[in-house]
Amino acid sequence: MFDILEPAFFALLTIGIVGSGVGVVMANRITTSALLMAFAFLNVAGMFLLLGAETIAFFQVLIYVGAITVLILYGVMFTPQSPRPYGLFFQTQKWWAALLVVPIAIFVAVVSFQFKDSPSAGTKGGDLLPLATSVFRDFAFPFEVASVLLLAAMVGAIVLVKRDEE
Amino acid sequence: MPVGPFGLDPVIWAPLRLIIAVLLAVGLVFNGALAQIYLERKIQAIIQDRLGPLHTGPWGLLQTFADAIKLLGKEDIRARLTDKWFFLAAPSIVFSPMLASYVVIPFAPGIVGADLSVGLLYLTTLGSMTVLGIVIAGWASNNKYSLIGGLRSAGQLISYEVPQILSLVTVVLVVGTLSMVGIAESQPGWQMNFLVLPLAFVTYFIAGLAETNRNPFDLPEAESELVAGFLTEYSGMRWAIFFLAEYGEVTVVSSIVTTLWFGAWHGPFVEVFPLLGVLWFTLKTYFFVLVFMWIRATLPRLRIDQLMSLCWKVLIPLTLVNLMVTAILLLAFPTTLVPVAIANWILLAGFVLALPYFQRRRLVALRERLRTAAA
Repeated sequence: MFDILEPAFFALLTIGIVGSGVGVVMANRITTSALLMAFAFLNVAGMFLLLGAETIAFFQVLIYVGAITVLILYGVMFTPQSPRPYGLFFQTQKWWAALLVVPIAIFVAVVSFQFKDSPSAGTKGGDLLPLATSVFRDFAFPFEVASVLLLAAMVGAIVLVKRDEE
Repeated sequence: MPVGPFGLDPVIWAPLRLIIAVLLAVGLVFNGALAQIYLERKIQAIIQDRLGPLHTGPWGLLQTFADAIKLLGKEDIRARLTDKWFFLAAPSIVFSPMLASYVVIPFAPGIVGADLSVGLLYLTTLGSMTVLGIVIAGWASNNKYSLIGGLRSAGQLISYEVPQILSLVTVVLVVGTLSMVGIAESQPGWQMNFLVLPLAFVTYFIAGLAETNRNPFDLPEAESELVAGFLTEYSGMRWAIFFLAEYGEVTVVSSIVTTLWFGAWHGPFVEVFPLLGVLWFTLKTYFFVLVFMWIRATLPRLRIDQLMSLCWKVLIPLTLVNLMVTAILLLAFPTTLVPVAIANWILLAGFVLALPYFQRRRLVALRERLRTAAA
C-alpha cells in the first residue's frame, strides 16, 4: 500500500506546482500571485523531500517562503493597488506564448523520458553530509566567489540607499 | 502479514500514529496556552503588587477557561472592506507552522515525533514561515494600524532570524549534529552546553524574544502606538488562534533553549525511569516560559530604530565573532571544549559590561547635541 503513496504525493505536488504557477500568471491581484508563488515554492520543497533531499527542502522553505515572498509582499504593500484584468498576458500574447511553449514542452518531455529507468536519488542518512562536502570541499572556491559577489552587492545596496549626513 | 506496534498492521498504524501525534500536539498547545495565560496574569500581578485572577475557581484557576469559552462563543466578525480569503487564512498560516514544530521536540528518551537528521533546520524553517501569516494578516485587514504592524513584524522577524540562526550554528559546531535527539544526548548529566556556550544562549534568547513578538520587542502589536497592530481587526476565535500561536511559539523557543543549552530531558533518575525525562523537560521549558513573562512585566518596549540597531549593530556582529572564535578554537583544540568555554564566558562578560558603557557614551553625545542645538 505504501508503494502507491510516493506516486500519489508526486502527482499532488506536480498539480500544486503547475497549478499555482499558472495561477501566479493568471491571477488579477498581485497579492494572490505572491501567495500562490509561496505555495509553489512549498510544493517544490515537497519534491525535494520526495527525492530524499530534506536539507535542500528546508532551505528552500526558509529562504523562498520565509524571506523572499515576505519581501515581495513588503514591496506590494508600499505600491498603490489597482485590479488588473484577468489573464492580461495571455490575451495579448497568446500565439507568441504558444509558439514558445510548444518546442520547450516537447524538449522537456523527450528529456524526461530518458530518465525512466534511472535509480532513485534517495540517499540513506539524509543529504546533509553530501551537501556539506560538495559545498565546502569540492566546490569551495566557487562558493567563496559567490559569497564575495553577494558581499559586494550588499555593500553596493547600502551605499545606494545611504542618506547623506546632515 | 507484517505486524507493527501493538499488533497492528502498519497500514493502519501509520495513519493512526499521525492522528494521535497531531491530537497530542494540539492538546499540548491548547492546554499550554491556558496554563500560560493564567501564569502570565498571576506573575504580572505579583510583579505589579496586585492579586491577579482570584474569583473564578480556586485561586482564579478557572479564569482562563471562562475566557476561552467566551472567545469560542463570540460572533465571527469580518469588516466589509477586508480581503476575505487572506483575512480568513492568516490565522491558520500563523498557527500551522507552530503546530508542526512539535514533531521534532525531544520530550524524553524515545518520546519524540520524528528524529529528523536536520531537526534544528526544520524548526528555524517553520519559525520563518510565521512571518508570512502576520504580514498577510496586516495587509488583509485593510487598516493602517494593521498594515504598520505587519510591516514592522516582517522587518523585525527577518532581521532577528540572522542572529538567531548564527547562535544555533555555534551550538551545532560544538555538538556536531543537527538532530534534536542527538543534541539532547550529547549533554549527559551536568555537562550542559550552557557551560560551554553561554553567549550563544544569551543572543539566541534575545532573538527568540523578538521572533515571538514578546516584550520588549512586541512592536508589531504595540497597543500604545498601533491599537493592536496586525490583530486590530480580528476578534473571537480567530484572534484567539493568533494568541495560541504566540504562546505555542514561546513554548517552542523555550524547548529549543532547553534542548540546546540545558540538556533537554537529562536530570536525576532519568536513567532509571526514562519517563521522568518528560517532567524534567517540562520543568526546564516552563522555567524559560516564566523568564519570558518576567521580562514582559519588567522591561519597557524598544523603539523601532533601537530594535533594528540592536539587531544589526550589536547582535549580528557579536554572534559572527562568537561563531568565528568558536570555529577557530574547535579547529585548534579538537579534543577539548575548555578553550571554547573560556572564550565564550569572556565574550559574554565583555558584552554585559560593555553595553552600559556604550549606552552612557551615546547619552553623553545626545546631551551634547541637544545643548549645541539649544545654544
